[in-house]
Amino acid sequence: MKRSIAVLGAAAAISLVLAGCGGSSGSSEAASGPITLTLAGWSLSTTPEFKTLADGFHATNPDVTIQVKEYDATNYDTQMIADLAAGKGPDLYVQKNLKNFFTYQDGKQLLDVSDVAKGLPDTVKGLSNYQIDGKTYAIPYRGDSWVMYYNQALFDKAGVDYPDGSWTWDDYVSTSKELTTKLKAAKSKALGDYQHNWQSTTQGFALAQTPGADMQSGNFSYLKPYYERSLALQKAGAQVKIGDVTTNSLTYQAQFGKQQAAMMPMGTWYIATLLAQQTSGEADQFKWGIAPAPQFDATTAGTSKTPVTFGDPTALGINPKLDKSKVTAAKAFLGYIAGKQGAESLAKIGITPADSEAVADTFFELKGIPTDDLSKFAFATHDTKPENPVAKSTPALQNLLNELHTSVLSGSVTVDAAITKAQDQAKSQGLTK
Amino acid sequence: MATMPVARRSRGRLMSRNTVVGWSFLLPNFIGFGIFTFIPVGLLFYYAFTDWNVFTGAEWSGLDNFSRLLNDSSFWTALRNTFYYSIFHIPLTLGASLALALLLNRKMRGVAFFRTAAFFPYITSIVAIAQVWNMLFSPSFGPINEIIRAFGVDNPPGWTSSANWSMPAVIIVGVWREMGYYMLLILAGLQTVPAQLYEAARVDGANAWWQFRAVTLPGLRPTMFFVTVMLTIGSLKVFDLILVMTDGGPGQSTLVLTQYIYQKGFKEQEFGYASAISIVLFGICLAVTVVQFLVNKRKDA
Repeated sequence: MKRSIAVLGAAAAISLVLAGCGGSSGSSEAASGPITLTLAGWSLSTTPEFKTLADGFHATNPDVTIQVKEYDATNYDTQMIADLAAGKGPDLYVQKNLKNFFTYQDGKQLLDVSDVAKGLPDTVKGLSNYQIDGKTYAIPYRGDSWVMYYNQALFDKAGVDYPDGSWTWDDYVSTSKELTTKLKAAKSKALGDYQHNWQSTTQGFALAQTPGADMQSGNFSYLKPYYERSLALQKAGAQVKIGDVTTNSLTYQAQFGKQQAAMMPMGTWYIATLLAQQTSGEADQFKWGIAPAPQFDATTAGTSKTPVTFGDPTALGINPKLDKSKVTAAKAFLGYIAGKQGAESLAKIGITPADSEAVADTFFELKGIPTDDLSKFAFATHDTKPENPVAKSTPALQNLLNELHTSVLSGSVTVDAAITKAQDQAKSQGLTK
Repeated sequence: MATMPVARRSRGRLMSRNTVVGWSFLLPNFIGFGIFTFIPVGLLFYYAFTDWNVFTGAEWSGLDNFSRLLNDSSFWTALRNTFYYSIFHIPLTLGASLALALLLNRKMRGVAFFRTAAFFPYITSIVAIAQVWNMLFSPSFGPINEIIRAFGVDNPPGWTSSANWSMPAVIIVGVWREMGYYMLLILAGLQTVPAQLYEAARVDGANAWWQFRAVTLPGLRPTMFFVTVMLTIGSLKVFDLILVMTDGGPGQSTLVLTQYIYQKGFKEQEFGYASAISIVLFGICLAVTVVQFLVNKRKDA
């Protein structure tokens, strides 16, 4: 450990020296002739979006070729930070979510792309999250939000009415319990709901929906009702206990796709996965739908209102080390992926583009996708708040809150005790006021 | 007389040639060691006194990182957990591997098979070990709790999913994994104890227990010392097993120093602070090892 940190240090130091020798000799005018740009991606075999965008752009701009450079999906940020620090970063790289955006921006690893942002329509969501002091540092192209998936076959079996878009979390809890009881009576092993063991499953909603909730304030009491509901569901046996999720490495894809649970809050990225797995046979064949995420209270619930949910926009930024002659082409690519053409091509492969309103029709032409009104409403209408507020203290706070998450859901401490402890720790580390 | 300078010159040439040959054998390894170990470790001591986020240059911050450590409750929890793990893991592994070695040092049928079986956990992928043990430990469906329930215990421990039982669970797996390796070292040590000593002890009427105390243990002293030192350092810097088994959780119940260093450095990009914690861990390892050497020396005298 000690060693590898320092190796990184040595690598960074050496690269700084080398970079100093190299200097920037690029001319400022746009280069003519073929240009090749490198783009960071991950899990290329199962994540087609990078290649789709690269090929789509190349088709309209034959002079520019985008080469995708593969990174490990789970260690993406660690690897990217190491590469950038060593001066070996790709020309264009993705901000997977907002958690480390501050680190990159504060470390001067993102080029100002405000001029690209100016040319985009207002319907591109999440742009403001990537703006600091009036300047834009990355362009969102993908905008997943959390919704609620439900299994219509299991609802039918239990004889429970489908969700109507007006649910609060209390409705969700009572329906989950009702489903569990009635499914048991109908000789089904499925449970009412499945909440995956990620901290965002509970905390993302709590932060987005609770009025006045602020992670940086150092007051985490907004989490309490959300944890009490999850604990109640575990206790009632309406959802798998977190200990069984972690020890058996349960996946949410199997829990919902293999009909182990009738409802599941999850991000819209799962739509494409579920469709693909139903085709390949990895998931069962059953009718399903999506509904808006359950709400904090009735003021935002219902199809006549805009439900509040969370999700970090995925954005693309430019490495400032990029040769000046290539910047114009790189910016054109950013404009393309966030614009109508890019959004259409993403929607065709089941990915929710940042401009989801513009492509809802294309999206619901996918084979096997539920086309009821509520699913369409849930996909297109929501007020999506960021999961990770952009601030220096966010990564450290999220780690503390993850410890709170596992200790509360495992039943090791009470919600109040865990919240008090996390608040004290945040204060002792100087992360909050 | 005329031959003297020639002889001296040729001896001098031989010596310098030997030096060159010696260096050329040493150099490839030494360059690697220098670049990948020596320089980075040196830099670490510098970075511990800076505020550094990898991208922008490290800013000198004096003792700030260390004074921050004093008030950081997560650091103290990690330190406590590291000692908790070590205090149980070291004697248990030592005892288990010694017992195994004594058992498998006899002439019996299938001894080669049992030796291999005992060594197997050590060469198995740690991720596979963590995955399988986690399943065994599963609170509701795991075989371990099924057996405990069969003995009439209604409320079996939650193991890796409970803050009180996660550390014992990790220690059990740690002991199980490493005892085979240390068994092998002790087994080698046992071969060096002269058979005549046992014979002499038997003639003097010593029973098995006294033979063990008066002959085996003193004969194993050098081996046991080496094993204890290695085991101590290994326990203090345990990382991979905990990372894949519990990821420090639930809560901070299995958060150890190495993992805290990883978290601060690679997840939160506080490389200066992470370096400072590394220095604390380095200091602890060094201090414990020095004490062990001193104790061993006194026993030798």
